[in-house]
Amino acid sequence: MSNRLLAVERVSLAFGGVQVIRDVSFDILEGEIRAIIGPNGAGKTSMLNLISGLYHPQRGAIVLKGIRYDRLRPRVAATNGVARTFQNIALFKGMTTLDNIMSGRILKMHANFLCQLVHYGPARAEEIRHRQFVEKIIDFLEIQHIRKVVVGRLPYGLQKRVELGRALAAEPDLLLLDEPMAGMNLEEKEDMSRFILDLNAQFGTTIALIEHDMRVVMDLSSRIVVLDHGEKIADGTPEQVRANQAVIDSYLGVAR
Amino acid sequence: MPGQSEGPAEDTFPKLLRRNARIFAERTAMREKDLGIWQTWTWTDVLERVCALAAGFAELGVARGDRVAIIGDNRPRLYWSICAVQMLGAIPVPVYQEAVAPEMAFVLRHAEATVAVVENQEQVDKVLEILGAGAGIRHIVYDDARGLKDCRERGVVSLDSIENAGRAVLQRDDGRALWLEREIDRGGGGDISVILYTSGTTDRPKGVVLTNSGTIWAAHAAKLFDRLTEDEEVLAYLPMAWIGDHMFSYAQWLVIGYCVNCPESRDTVVENRREIGPTYVFAPPRVYENLLTLTMVRMQDASWLKRTMFAYFLGVARRCGEAILDGRPVALVDRLRYRLGSILVYGPLKGRYGLSRIRVGYTAGEAIGPEIFSFYRSLGLNLKQLYGQTEAAVYITNQPDGEIFPDTVGRPLPGIEVRIDETGEVHYRSPGIFREYFNNSEATAASKTTDGWVRSGDAGLIDQHGHLKIIDRFKDVGRLANGSLFPPKYIENKLKFFPNIKEAVAFGDGRDYVACFINIDLIAVGSWAERNGVVYGSYQELAADPRVYDMIKDHVAQVNRELAAEPRVAACQIRRFLVLPKELDADDGEVTRTSKVRRAFVCERYAPLIEALYDSGCRHRQIRIGVTFEDGRKGLLEGEVQIAEMPEGLAEGALREAAE
Amino acid sequence: MDALADIFIDPFVQMAANPVFLVKVIWEGLVAGMLYALIALGFVLIYKASGVFNFAQGIMVVFSALTLVGLHERGLPAYAALIGALLVMLLLAIAVERLILRPLVNQPDITLLMATIGLTSLLIGLGEIVFGGEPKTMITRELGLPSGSIRLMIADRPLVLQKLDIAAGATALLLITALAVFFQRTRIGRALRAVADDHQAALSVGISLNQIWIIVWFTAGLVALVTGIMWSAKSDVSFALEIIALRALPVLILGGLTSIPGAIVGGLIIGVGEKLGEIYWGRLVGGAIDSWLAYFIALIFLLLRPQGLFGEKIIERV
Repeated sequence: MSNRLLAVERVSLAFGGVQVIRDVSFDILEGEIRAIIGPNGAGKTSMLNLISGLYHPQRGAIVLKGIRYDRLRPRVAATNGVARTFQNIALFKGMTTLDNIMSGRILKMHANFLCQLVHYGPARAEEIRHRQFVEKIIDFLEIQHIRKVVVGRLPYGLQKRVELGRALAAEPDLLLLDEPMAGMNLEEKEDMSRFILDLNAQFGTTIALIEHDMRVVMDLSSRIVVLDHGEKIADGTPEQVRANQAVIDSYLGVAR
Repeated sequence: MPGQSEGPAEDTFPKLLRRNARIFAERTAMREKDLGIWQTWTWTDVLERVCALAAGFAELGVARGDRVAIIGDNRPRLYWSICAVQMLGAIPVPVYQEAVAPEMAFVLRHAEATVAVVENQEQVDKVLEILGAGAGIRHIVYDDARGLKDCRERGVVSLDSIENAGRAVLQRDDGRALWLEREIDRGGGGDISVILYTSGTTDRPKGVVLTNSGTIWAAHAAKLFDRLTEDEEVLAYLPMAWIGDHMFSYAQWLVIGYCVNCPESRDTVVENRREIGPTYVFAPPRVYENLLTLTMVRMQDASWLKRTMFAYFLGVARRCGEAILDGRPVALVDRLRYRLGSILVYGPLKGRYGLSRIRVGYTAGEAIGPEIFSFYRSLGLNLKQLYGQTEAAVYITNQPDGEIFPDTVGRPLPGIEVRIDETGEVHYRSPGIFREYFNNSEATAASKTTDGWVRSGDAGLIDQHGHLKIIDRFKDVGRLANGSLFPPKYIENKLKFFPNIKEAVAFGDGRDYVACFINIDLIAVGSWAERNGVVYGSYQELAADPRVYDMIKDHVAQVNRELAAEPRVAACQIRRFLVLPKELDADDGEVTRTSKVRRAFVCERYAPLIEALYDSGCRHRQIRIGVTFEDGRKGLLEGEVQIAEMPEGLAEGALREAAE
Repeated sequence: MDALADIFIDPFVQMAANPVFLVKVIWEGLVAGMLYALIALGFVLIYKASGVFNFAQGIMVVFSALTLVGLHERGLPAYAALIGALLVMLLLAIAVERLILRPLVNQPDITLLMATIGLTSLLIGLGEIVFGGEPKTMITRELGLPSGSIRLMIADRPLVLQKLDIAAGATALLLITALAVFFQRTRIGRALRAVADDHQAALSVGISLNQIWIIVWFTAGLVALVTGIMWSAKSDVSFALEIIALRALPVLILGGLTSIPGAIVGGLIIGVGEKLGEIYWGRLVGGAIDSWLAYFIALIFLLLRPQGLFGEKIIERV
């Protein structure tokens, strides 16, 4: 339970002259649900981008599964079991739900190029195996009815679910969720919370999430890190964070 | 019975299953789509599974006469559980899976169920909640283990473990297998086969007690009537607690031996229907309405060429489709046009909705709009109406092939007698009728006459063809203040036949004029709004849009014209109406689980709005009502509802016309 | 009335009068259309994968053909020269990815377009320096391409088909089929479709954009080489050939910049339409019809189908 899956070590990030993240450190333990909260512009999404390798810090490093990376590449993060969803949904809008989720398995496909070309032998068996795995995800997320629907046509809440499905297809060790419930109605939020909890409980997936709905955050997460203006102002269990004066002043007090 | 050939020799459902495993053996009995693939079970498989379940239930303590609740969507193992329970001589009680806890509590308590077989975690939670309220459930058995792995509640077990335990016992102990065989033999035709609770539109649900012999008789009578065979394919997607599903997906499944298919999930029914292509279909009108609405919406978005072709060939179908279906003479040119239309339009359309292989399709439960009915028939679908009730094990009257009139429900099946009593109420009598209402002798006495007739509660008449025509619920037919007849359902149905109107509630009994509530159909009106640039943020906003009101006004005017043309109801001109800001919802108790409006409850709940409808000075009214979300939580809906007035001129003119 | 008859009746009378000739015209149109389709395909591939309208596509056709002939002139056997030309196109793809796409990622489209214009000048210059500027003859025979023609008798009328045209048609068909299978079936194909749809999403599932870019530019180079061989077999290899890129424009208007089937069907429609127009309607407007007819055809189609040939109405929901 207490193995460090990932650590952010004294990381700083700036765009031009703007300091987005300033000397932040925290870690994510195996099997936990870790929330990153903070007011708008606190650097939460930038933090996720650092962890998934889309940004590289000017100072500090990301330690993933015990290996230290000064410049973590997205592909390296992905091959090491980091999968994510995006705040604004980055799905392949022209593809079906099934193809989108299948694309999440792209790193797991190994069959010989020529075999794939003729759709034969090991490649065929591999395709079937991947499809079976993807069907389990579809069943898990209860999206059977949109299996063959082009995702661009789906309502927002379902798109979020498909995006989660694609992240799951990579069988991630660490799942990064950027505001998984933004723009959802109450019922969709409850479904999503249920999926996140089930994932964590049944498959032991470690999850790091950004979320604005405090009720959801307090219910779901085991530990919370609070950012404000790029700096870490608190880190601890929901109870500790709720009682933290700095957090109340800068965030909870204002937002709620 | 007179005029009927003998039914099957087997007099109970478990015996029928045993017979099917013998004579149909390796034929497919059931399919279910799971993880994207259709899984199949042969009759031999099903018998083995059901026996294992029965032995497992026996281990759990289920015994002859016990009531076992079955709650969930159409899953194969829930159907098998029904049969397994019957094997032991216990009585299955299917319960509407969408019922909220208090409703479910009533049924479970009233039926004195001791075991509940449920589909998934949601139902387990619901039953656990009820357990606290003192229902006598000892065990909850769940089919789908998701989210229940860590459930440590006492008495909650998985259907897997029951089945495995049962199978182990049967394999270990030959005596036990023999015992189970004897238990099956012990059952008889006079035994209770099932108790189905009717979702009463007025009062508490009543448990209709059906016997093996009655249900088997009815299933067999319908088999003869439509010459059904073991080659039929049926899709099981309607609530298991509804007599319609119980007859089509269970009783006739065993009596006829055809294949029943369970969809992947509730949301994939249309897609799964397309994959299976059922040959024998039973659906309430709503299903057909939805498909038609979906088609029309799709066509609005289609290319010009497709739209033109669609419109042209639908015209051809309207002109001669039904005549061709009924085998009446049709000009050769039209025949050719129709043939071309089949290739270009009707075929693909039917294929799209999985209706291409239909031999016999029924609509029942509610009146179907004549336009919708004709639409499907003109495409070459043998869609028919039947009139049935839970108390009759469905069948009272059916439309025979070639004798289809949209406004009647056909004639009695052989062996069923129908009469209209002096007050105009429809009565019927047959070997298929129910024994009694469970633990409710008062209601039984009120419904069954001493000489074995059942009062249907519907007002009707028999027309010159010998066909039955249903007018309305017997007790709902009222009078306007001036004494003229007011059949609310009749008017509501006319309104509901417009795709834009999902539900309507008409008022007028003892009043000066007719007024009504309208519920818009979100799919149809939503699509219309999209096309016409009407922006809306919620159902409530859309419902209040003046352009929506204008559209509904046109529909109401059309209905008024139709009513004016019929002398009997010409006085029932709709003077004022309003569009409700929320959909009438079963969770709020406004409609039953089978989507029938609970009139009395709606009247009470929306009393201020009704008052406003009859207050001629009132143009709008503020309301505040509670709503229940799908997860059972409560909320509050507030807003202003506009009252629309129909132009006087038309109504008066029509009245005068009618009076002349 | 006469004018109307000239436009709407006479040409069809002529077609009906000599159907074998009509078949010949259509055949020639199809062969030309197939080549248009290949050129358009080059544009589409690159646009889909990297969002760049590759101004240099035309010059890539010339450059690849020039490389092939040039290598042969320097003593390489024909097939070795072919492989050599392919290698050069691969190097070009890698260079483009390294020197243009990677540094310019996330820059405005116009920047990338300017970069490909720069690439055009660069390739022209490079070609002239290395292989000289004078026109060269394509090494058709050395590559084993057939010459001459076959005569078919249909209903007592002769139909003459160039063997080279048949070979060109067959090669183009083969290439297109191979590409289609490649993009449908393989992991790389799936990745390419993913990249074409959404860069960020593609990155997040672990697809390497750089790798895809190289593959796509190389594929475009391969298509350019094939086009170059076929086209120059009929004339010469010279920088004047660059203008055939213009032929692809109406095809792109018709088929859309993002649709591979659109490029193919669009190419065929334009090819056949152009030939029919030139033969049967050409004299009405004094002959110089081929310079604008393709655009005219594209325009008419767009009036009937505003979303393009295979364009889907994308319903964006928020």
